[in-house]
Amino acid sequence: MLSVRNLDVRYGQFRAVQDVSMEIAQGDIVSLIGANGAGKSTLLRAIAGALPVYSGSVSFKQQDVTQTPSSTRVKQGLSLVPEGRRLFADMTVEENLLLGTTVKRSGDWNIDRIFETFPNLVKRRHSKTGHLSGGEQQATAIGRALMSNPDLLILDEVSLGLSPLVVDQVYASINSLKGAGTTILLVEQDLGRAISFSQRAICMLEGKVVLDKPTCDTNKEEITQAYFGLHQSNNQEAS
Amino acid sequence: MIINSLVQAILLGGYYALIACGLAFMFQVMRIINLAHGSLAILSAYLVWEITDALALSPFISVLMILPIMAIIGLLLQRVILERTTKGGELLPVLTTFGLAIVIDNLLFQQFGANTRSLSPYLGDLSWESYEIFDLWIGKLPVIVLITAIAMIGGLDLILRFTHLGRQIRATAFDPDTAGLVGIDARKIAGISAAIAMMTVAISGTALGLRGTFDAYSGGPQLLFAFEATIIGGVGSLWGVFMGGIILAIAQSIGALIHPQGFLLGGHLMFLIFLFARIYFHRDVFSLKHWLSKFNKEENVV
Repeated sequence: MLSVRNLDVRYGQFRAVQDVSMEIAQGDIVSLIGANGAGKSTLLRAIAGALPVYSGSVSFKQQDVTQTPSSTRVKQGLSLVPEGRRLFADMTVEENLLLGTTVKRSGDWNIDRIFETFPNLVKRRHSKTGHLSGGEQQATAIGRALMSNPDLLILDEVSLGLSPLVVDQVYASINSLKGAGTTILLVEQDLGRAISFSQRAICMLEGKVVLDKPTCDTNKEEITQAYFGLHQSNNQEAS
Repeated sequence: MIINSLVQAILLGGYYALIACGLAFMFQVMRIINLAHGSLAILSAYLVWEITDALALSPFISVLMILPIMAIIGLLLQRVILERTTKGGELLPVLTTFGLAIVIDNLLFQQFGANTRSLSPYLGDLSWESYEIFDLWIGKLPVIVLITAIAMIGGLDLILRFTHLGRQIRATAFDPDTAGLVGIDARKIAGISAAIAMMTVAISGTALGLRGTFDAYSGGPQLLFAFEATIIGGVGSLWGVFMGGIILAIAQSIGALIHPQGFLLGGHLMFLIFLFARIYFHRDVFSLKHWLSKFNKEENVV
């Protein structure tokens, strides 16, 4: 469904993402793991079309989208919930959600179903999103992405700044998407949750992919080593 | 005498609101200060004059005909000039539209010469007819202009608030990157916004021609009034701009009462007062809510 080949993304001289390749198939649930500054958000934003690509290619549903603007990618079924939620703060919850329908993709998601999935939003329907709690804002951001009925949903650190209880609620609602066959690529800092939630883990370090394995074939220790770069140095010592 | 000046000032303020509306809309939505705004208004006034003269129509019909023309000019302006210049930083659009204003002014001068023109001869009696209310003479035409300003600003406000297009425009203005991630085609929205702004320019240019005279170089003062009204009203809302237009006109009238040459000076002074106040005070100072809540607090203390 999504295929990234030799992707390079740069901020001026700085190579934030270096030579990254990955394949994500229909129905996959993939966790992207890595320390701050490892290039996760940059990679996701480049996949969604919010950042220009230096070299390499991104293709979605067998179509090359490397040069396609982000709005067209949403129309093709690729939706990103950006890090930090990035809601339109001077608009109400309902207005934010309605903006998700801009691309007019047909599917199961509509405004009523969003409010069913996130019951905490119902009483906030007409409040400005700038005044909501973190959990409510996150729910709105996910809802807004779902309103476009995406085939591939990309979630960038949905648990950032939320209390553990609210994180559970958010994951419970994302869990319901799994059953619907939506492909999900998410960034999660909590290793335990990432392993239990997803089928595959991709670990990034300093802009490169250092580990890409099904979660059943790996464990917390191996991912932790990759996370801190111990993985590579061990290999080097061994060789 | 004073009441008469006040009433006439409010009517003049309607015209200022009309011309400021497009400038403020473009600034709000596209973050562009269009210095060619006044010249484009004069261009549309000439277009209306040409059509009215050639086809012997009422100016009110001709303006409907130039609305689509100006919309297309707006779209081209966005696609050919503004879209490229915004990539070059914040200063470049200002410089480019400044240059464009000079080009338009001089092309108009070359085409139409130095003669001043007016649309009022095509109006017949309407150009001087007045209502008489309590010994005040209120021109019908300025009233029509004021009502047009209210209708136009109200209409734009409703579009921005309650339509899908309006939500897309506001989202793009607030955060263009995220708007793209939601599926909004920022380029299309910018084009539509420029087209809408140019339609308001067409209406304000016509209003100028109906109220008085214009020549090829009348664009500068119109831009100045539009800019002053926008700054006085605050760029946050279109109704603020409407109030800005009226405050500007009242300040000019007070200036004229004090000294025969004080008309423009009064307006400039008011503009400077608001400009410095906006720089040095918190923005809340300008909202009614702020003063109401202050009033309530004082009551609580008592």
